[in-house]
Order: sequence, then structure tokens, then C-alpha cells
Amino acid sequence: MKNPDVVRALRAGWCLLAVSLPLGVTLEALHGLKLRVYLESELRRELWRLAHAHGTLLGILLLVFAALAERHVAATRRAAVARDLVRGSILLPLGFFLGGVLNGEGDPSAGIVLVPLGAIFLLAALVRAVPRAADESPA
Amino acid sequence: MSRPAALALLVVAPLAVAAALRFGPDPVALADARPLLARAGEYVGSDACRACHPDQHASWERTFHRTMTQRAEPGAVRGAFDGVERSFFGAAATPFERDGRFWMRMPDGAGGTREAEVALSVGSRRYQQYFELAGAHVGDTYRRLPLLWHLEEQRWLHLNGVFLAPDSDDWSTHASTWNANCIFCHNTGPAPRLVEPRTTPAAAQRADSRVAELGIACEACHGPGRAHVERLSAPRARLAPPDELAIMNPAQLDQRESLAVCGQCHSQRLPAEPEALWTFLETGPTFRPGDALEAHVTPVTCETVSPDPRREELFAARFWRDGTARLTAYEYLGVTQSPCFAGGEMTCGSCHTMHGGDVHGMIEPEKRGDGACTQCHAGLDTRAHHGHEPSGAGGRCLACHMPRIVYGILDVHRSHRIESPDVRRDVEAGRPNACTHCHAGESAAWAAAGLARITGRASEAPRSRPDGGPLELPEVLVSLHAGDAVQRAVAARALGELPDARAAAFVVPHLVVALGDGYPSVRTLARRALVALERELGLGLASELAAFDPLAPLEVRGVAVRDLLTRTAAATRAAGLPPPPAGTLVGPDHALDLARVRALLELQSDHVIAIGE
Repeated sequence: MKNPDVVRALRAGWCLLAVSLPLGVTLEALHGLKLRVYLESELRRELWRLAHAHGTLLGILLLVFAALAERHVAATRRAAVARDLVRGSILLPLGFFLGGVLNGEGDPSAGIVLVPLGAIFLLAALVRAVPRAADESPA
Repeated sequence: MSRPAALALLVVAPLAVAAALRFGPDPVALADARPLLARAGEYVGSDACRACHPDQHASWERTFHRTMTQRAEPGAVRGAFDGVERSFFGAAATPFERDGRFWMRMPDGAGGTREAEVALSVGSRRYQQYFELAGAHVGDTYRRLPLLWHLEEQRWLHLNGVFLAPDSDDWSTHASTWNANCIFCHNTGPAPRLVEPRTTPAAAQRADSRVAELGIACEACHGPGRAHVERLSAPRARLAPPDELAIMNPAQLDQRESLAVCGQCHSQRLPAEPEALWTFLETGPTFRPGDALEAHVTPVTCETVSPDPRREELFAARFWRDGTARLTAYEYLGVTQSPCFAGGEMTCGSCHTMHGGDVHGMIEPEKRGDGACTQCHAGLDTRAHHGHEPSGAGGRCLACHMPRIVYGILDVHRSHRIESPDVRRDVEAGRPNACTHCHAGESAAWAAAGLARITGRASEAPRSRPDGGPLELPEVLVSLHAGDAVQRAVAARALGELPDARAAAFVVPHLVVALGDGYPSVRTLARRALVALERELGLGLASELAAFDPLAPLEVRGVAVRDLLTRTAAATRAAGLPPPPAGTLVGPDHALDLARVRALLELQSDHVIAIGE
């Protein structure tokens, strides 16, 4: 694995898992202890659950990308795909988490704007990763 | 990445969560700080239940219990606050919206007009009433506004048009406050906190009312939840047996205690000790789920003595003379009078559910209709049992054993005193009889003979009616014209649901006469019945019936009724209905015998029946 962007994606994947998995454990603990300040904000619970789930799954996605990129993603676009993937994978769960901080009763906080931004990066990564007829052999 | 950096990453999320919860908004404090709420005591509110019981919370959230009382916010207010003036009983009011808030412009009682802002709404199924904050601060007196929104008819009605009272131009007749009335049963954990109620006249009464939750929420049936929530925040406590959970499950209560959970509201009641009234008006009712209801209150029955010597009939008028309730909110009493309760295991939960089924009636699909009875009485759906076609309307258990003889909220509901028809008992008590309400052209004597034939037991014919009406005429028609307000309302409702549409040839003209009743609520029910028959039979009277307003001034209504009466005979003939049978006061030419109808109308009593609604 020589491409520094792919290496960065690999590192980001592990980091994301290192943050998201303890987040899940923390949410479980809040449930277990029936902490009302968490449990009674239905919106906050939903947003933080989404943050945990997206963080974990996108972390795994980054690891999978790092493992497969050099064989399956065109070399000319590999760096860009990795960059977009890392940015999207961080912004999306972060947006969900921040949306549940300082949120009102019916609406998430302003941090939620990171979610569509992250989604755009992920979509861009997907579009870039799609093999094209003109591509040389990825390897 | 270094090992310390990796370890640091693992604590990022817990620290971020802790910081967010510590410094972010506290949903518990926010909810508890809402106006009118008081949760410093034993109540915690339904949000606290949702976290651990999401399914039960969701099934309750869709019910009309939840929306029984609401703040006047968009989404909760269902009326058309469209700025259109509505005239009723000699005056007018205009519901309108301004800056997202709801208002009513109406007479001020001194010759001018005033604007009242809607603060609370009560009701969300049949009709919605509105209350203004008349006092100086939130929790002070909430006064009922004169117009209500009828949800099914999608129109405004005046309060004078929905109770059992004759037409009146006095807009203050049904003036009422939320704090001393609705608060008790339409909210959870009510504390009226009236200020010096013993010495303050009702008109000058002030309050600082609080509830644990607006509407009827979890803790109304399960009891106050704070002890439960606090105890179960320790994970190990969740392993405790159910009786140590510090919460009540009505499904696990004894029969009478289970019934009491619903009976705390579905029964009109007085404090068990007269002095307790002041406690109720100050700190609220003392009953808690799991208690015996009679330890706190005494359900009102036909024998309850009126506290007002000038109104001796106050309570007695709410019952048929055999003690069966004829107004809603006496379901508890009805059930306790039923053999299914006294000799069986029936509770409210035998048929109703708070967490499933159709929210209309709160009945699970398999228990709707006959299913409610066949859980215990299987195999009775036979001609030998009921003498009717098993698949027809006469073969339905509820038609005979829970007839619609109870007035409330501008409709007629099923009696919860579950028992078998007895023609003599019913008619002599002034109580509508299940047989003659379907067999609209038949007399009580005919019904008694038929019942004897079906059951094989003696069934006596009645010897008199309380109103002195003739026994040889069709019982329901006599009740429609000669009965008191509840009898007339019940009869009008019944005639709109005829199992045999051919009876419409004589029913329609009688219902048109009822459109001229002196009680607006009876007129409304008569119009509904006619609209139902018109829809079924296509009599060609649809536009006239649609235009008829039961709350219009007498001169307008009078013209409309006379016009309808002149057209009815031709309409029923043109619809191909068979000639009415003899004795129905409608001739073979479909013309109504008005002279004999007038004689029946002369027997009509004109007393007002107070409804605790």
C-alpha cells in the first residue's frame, strides 16, 4: 500500500471506528442507567444513534476501500476517491452528532448541515470510483 | 499513530457526549418548565415513559386520550378560525387567526364585542371546545368560549345547541371554567388549586391550576411514575418482581380495582366524604390506580341526593327510571350493574384496550361487535337464541344487550349496563327498548309477545309510559314525539339506522316533524337520521336537508320544516317505498296524520337535563 491517500483512508477508518464504537457503548450505558437528560430527548437519541451507526459503517467502508483500492480503483482517480471518502465519512457522523448537541425540541442544531455536505463527498467518491471504459488496468 | 493518541481517540466520544449532556439543553427541565405543568411531585410525564416503553408510548400517542386537552397551537386546534362570522341564538361570533394564534370575537355581555384568545382546547374526536385564559397568569381561570368546532360535521356550533336544553338566546347559559370542571378528567395529575374555594363565589373564583400532563397520559392509568423511574434507573432493580416496580399495571389488578382505573373518570362521582370536595378543588383527586374507587368517591346513581334543594331532579334526570344511565360518563356504573361483572370476570379491559386496535372506541378488531361477547358466550349466535337471521342486524349481540340509549357529546351511545331486553321494564322506565328501536312500526305489546316467543319465557306488556303516551302505537314513534329530551334524541338517532329501509315510508315524515323539535340537539340528531336515510334511499330531499340548519332561527327553520313536510309524502312514494303499515300515523297515501302527531307532542315534557360534560 504505497499511495499516501489510501494509507490516510486506512488510518481514518481505524480512527472512525475508535470513536464510533465507544460512542455506541456510551449510548448503551446511558440507556442502561436510564439517564433522563438523554432518554427524554427523542430527537437527540435518534441523531446520536445515527452518528454511531454511520460512523461505524463508514469506518468499515474506509478499511474495505483501503484493502481494495489499489486493485479496483483507477490509479488516476484513486487519490481523489480516497480524499472524498475520508471527508464524507468524517463529516456525516459528525453532523449527526452535532445535530443532537444544543438541539431544540423539534429541530436538530446547526451542526446537522455537515450531514448533506458529507453525503455529497461520499457521492462524489462513488461517482469517481466507478470504472470507466477508458481506464487503464487499475494496477 | 502512537499508542497514547489511539487511546485518546477511544475516549473522544464519551467525553463529547458527557460535555453535550452537561452543557446542552436539558429536555426534562424544558418539558417541566412548560406553563401549567407541575412535576415536582410524584409525576414525571409521558416522555419519561417513552424511553423504556416506546411501543406503549406510540400506541397511546395516537389515541384521543392524549389529545383531550391541548395548548392552542397549530396542529392541535382543529376549528376553522377563518374570520367568518357565525350567528347563533340572536348573536354572532367570529373565530379568527392572528399571528399564528387563535381568537374569537364575540359579545362581551354588555352590548359590545370583545376578543378572546384561545389558550386551551378540550376534545379532539367528536367536538373541540375552546377556553380563554381569563385570569392574570397561566393557571388562573380558563373560561369556556361559546362556540365549539364539531369535528365530524366540520362546522361551528354554539354550546346552547349541543346540550339537552331548549333553544335559548342566553349566551351565558353554559359558561363554565376549566379549572373546576374539565381539569379533573381531561388531564393527568390535576391540581385545580382554586383560591379559597370555600368562601369565593364561583363567578369570582381565581386559581393557580397545574397538571402533571395535559390530556390523559400514562400516569392517569398506571399511577404516578417518579418512584418507578427513580427505582429502575439502577440496572439491578430491573430484575425485581413486578410488584416491586413501583408502578401499576391495570391488567394485573383485581376486577374491581381494574374497573376503578377507568371509573375514576368514566363515572360521574361525588367525594366519598363531603369535606373532601375542598381537597379535590385544591390539591386534586386523591384516587390513584390500584385503589378502591369507593374509598375516594361515590359514583352518582339515580338515588344520589341533589345537593341543590331547588334542583331535586339534578341526578335522577340523568337515569332511566330503572336506574340505567342515560348520559355518557356513567360507564363504570353501567358495568357494575351488569351480570357480566357481578357474576363474571368482566372489566373494561375485557373489550377495550388502551394500546391497540382502533382508537375509535379503543377496541381490538377481534373484539369489535359480537367478538366482545363471544369471548365468554360462544355459540349463542343462533336463531334459537335471538330469533333473528344470524347474519342480520337483529342477530348482533350489542343490538339487544347494549342498545344505543345513552346521550352525550351530541350523539347517542351504547349502554354499558349489559343485560337482556325486558319490554315492560324498559317502557315503564321510559327507557328505549331494543326491540322496538329496530322494529320501528311496532308497539311495546307486540315486542313483549315477540320476546316471549323467542325466549320461551313470560314477557309482560307494559301498562303505562312515564309520559302517558299511548301504548298501542309504535313505541319509538311515541318516544320521538311525546318523550322527554333524551327519549326524543335516542329515538331520532335510532330511526336513522333502520335495518329495514322499507320502514322509511313512515319514518321519514316523523323525523321531519322532529326537525321542528324545541331542543336543538334533538333537531341535529333528526337531521342526521334523515340525511342517512336520504343517502340510502335517494328520496330527492338531499338539497333541502343539506340546507337545513338545526341551529338556525325559528322562523327560518319553521319554513324549511313546513316545506319538507309538504314534499315528504311525494318523495317516499316516488322512491317506490311500500305503503306504511296501519298504526304508524302515516296513511296509505304516505300522508302524515298531523292531528294525532300534535296530540303526542302535547305530552312532551320540557325539562332541562344537566350534563356534566
